[in-house]
Amino acid sequence: MSPLFTGLLILFALLALLGIGTPIAFALGFVSIAALLIVDGAGSLSILGETFFGGLASFGLVSIPMFILMGSAVASSPAGKDLYEALDRWLNRVPGGLVLSNIGACSIFAALSGSSPATCAAIGKMGIPEMTKRGYPNEIASGSIAAGGTLGILIPPSITMIVYGIATETSIGRLFLAGLLPGFMLTALFMAWTIYDCRRRGIGLSALTERFTMKERFAALPRVLPFLAIIIGILYVLYGGVATPSEAAGVGALFCIVLVVVIYRMWSVTKVTGMFRDTLKESVMIMMIIGASELFSYTLSSMFITQSIAEWIAALDVNRWILMAIINCFLLFAGFFLPPVAVILMTAPILLPIILQAGFDPYWFAVVLTINMEIGLITPPVGLNLYVINGIAPNITLAEILRGSIPYVLCMVVGIVLLCLVPGIATWLPELMMGKAL
Amino acid sequence: MTAYIRWVSALSRLAAVAALFLLASAIVVVTQMVVMRYFLNASTVWQTEYVIYALVAMTFLASPFVLMEKGHVNVDLLYLKLHGSARQVVQTLAGLVGLLFCALLAWSGWTYFEEAWSYGWTTDTVWALPLWIPLLPLPLGIGLMTLQYIAEVAKIWRGESA
Repeated sequence: MSPLFTGLLILFALLALLGIGTPIAFALGFVSIAALLIVDGAGSLSILGETFFGGLASFGLVSIPMFILMGSAVASSPAGKDLYEALDRWLNRVPGGLVLSNIGACSIFAALSGSSPATCAAIGKMGIPEMTKRGYPNEIASGSIAAGGTLGILIPPSITMIVYGIATETSIGRLFLAGLLPGFMLTALFMAWTIYDCRRRGIGLSALTERFTMKERFAALPRVLPFLAIIIGILYVLYGGVATPSEAAGVGALFCIVLVVVIYRMWSVTKVTGMFRDTLKESVMIMMIIGASELFSYTLSSMFITQSIAEWIAALDVNRWILMAIINCFLLFAGFFLPPVAVILMTAPILLPIILQAGFDPYWFAVVLTINMEIGLITPPVGLNLYVINGIAPNITLAEILRGSIPYVLCMVVGIVLLCLVPGIATWLPELMMGKAL
Repeated sequence: MTAYIRWVSALSRLAAVAALFLLASAIVVVTQMVVMRYFLNASTVWQTEYVIYALVAMTFLASPFVLMEKGHVNVDLLYLKLHGSARQVVQTLAGLVGLLFCALLAWSGWTYFEEAWSYGWTTDTVWALPLWIPLLPLPLGIGLMTLQYIAEVAKIWRGESA
């Protein structure tokens, strides 16, 4: 049996298991061990525990639960509300200011929490009612928050980038830097579209907009600045080469917990345990997929499937941009059904050799891949952000949220095209700060 | 079966509490390590390994609880479209796949642990931690998850999981 054929069989088996609703981690693990047992015999059972354990026992992975804890500490506090209020007080006399403060608050909160659904929930709870109160249509109110929330997986520190870094053995610090400018670019694209859309529909400054004095504006800052300081601190520590991402994440998590407890007086044991419980659930889910995908990529490469696919594609000799377009469509499709972390872990071992062979930069590709995953978060059937917004704003129908998010999907497609035309958007900053890669 | 489900669920919760403490301890140790390394310029011996293995143990020990809470993410598009016994059959099928994988992983993890124990393997660092200690949570946690999976499949037929 040729490796390509075996690979195809494995793919169909995996799709069938995922289709009947097997948890992703177990479906990946089951397909791998079944393939190994059939091809290599019963002896391959012994590598199961070793590979799974080995895949998890790495210091790089330590940053995942730490960053998740940092995010859930911030998400469980009213920090999102304060952030939103502070931005609104500063920006509300600017035309379209409310939208700017919404998307701005989303991108800052996204950086802190690293989670898209958490960002949607935290900023949307305040932002959506405020926008509808001031006469913005439901589509704009919900769509801008859904899209703003997706920035969480692109703007550093991002769990998705960490997972990519681990799956492809690339530098996590460099990946974070690569995501920074594209994150700002998408934020700007979202803002520009929203303001244009508001103008087009004749929505200007409404009479409902309050005026704030400078005193009120400064009064909103003290609760927000410490969190900004933590993000800047983490980025500084990472790029000053002072500490590794895992160390920065651990200290950042501790700071965030202390801040939340001190500033918001969240002394209650239930709240703190709740924070840890959420972290436990999300981290364990991700870690189990990581362990299983270690097994999966071991299986694929031990049967020469990864190598054969790369060779086969090289032999096709297609134009590299056509290849990139095909890969993008494939990722987009996968992102419609699977969460970003799972897509990255399953596809990275196969895609990376192809990408490198075609002469693309792996850090640039990480950004393109992540934007593809962001699109998956606001498109059906499993667009998580859409359902979060549907949950927090029950008076807005799912159809309105969907209609509202379509222009932002197009903004992201424009973002990908811009990245293809000017790869420097992703690669310039890391090269400036860390020198050339490889 | 009711008693079985109750007991296994209680055990899974207990293991999750242990995992919670491991997570909390890991944060404290990372911070202590950073302070030692970067502020006191001292060298650290056991911290890196401790943090790695604490979080691996956390993963295995909390996994049964996450299963109980339906936290292991899956694609539910298809079976949510089904109704009645068709849905139960598909869910059971998915459950059995998971159950079988967990049982194999637990068994394989047990043999790995037993080898490390009987040959007295240690980690190849200055600390030279006996390898069976970080390996123990693998058969323990995944073994418990296998038991929890039996409970989850049973629940499908008792009409408890919609």
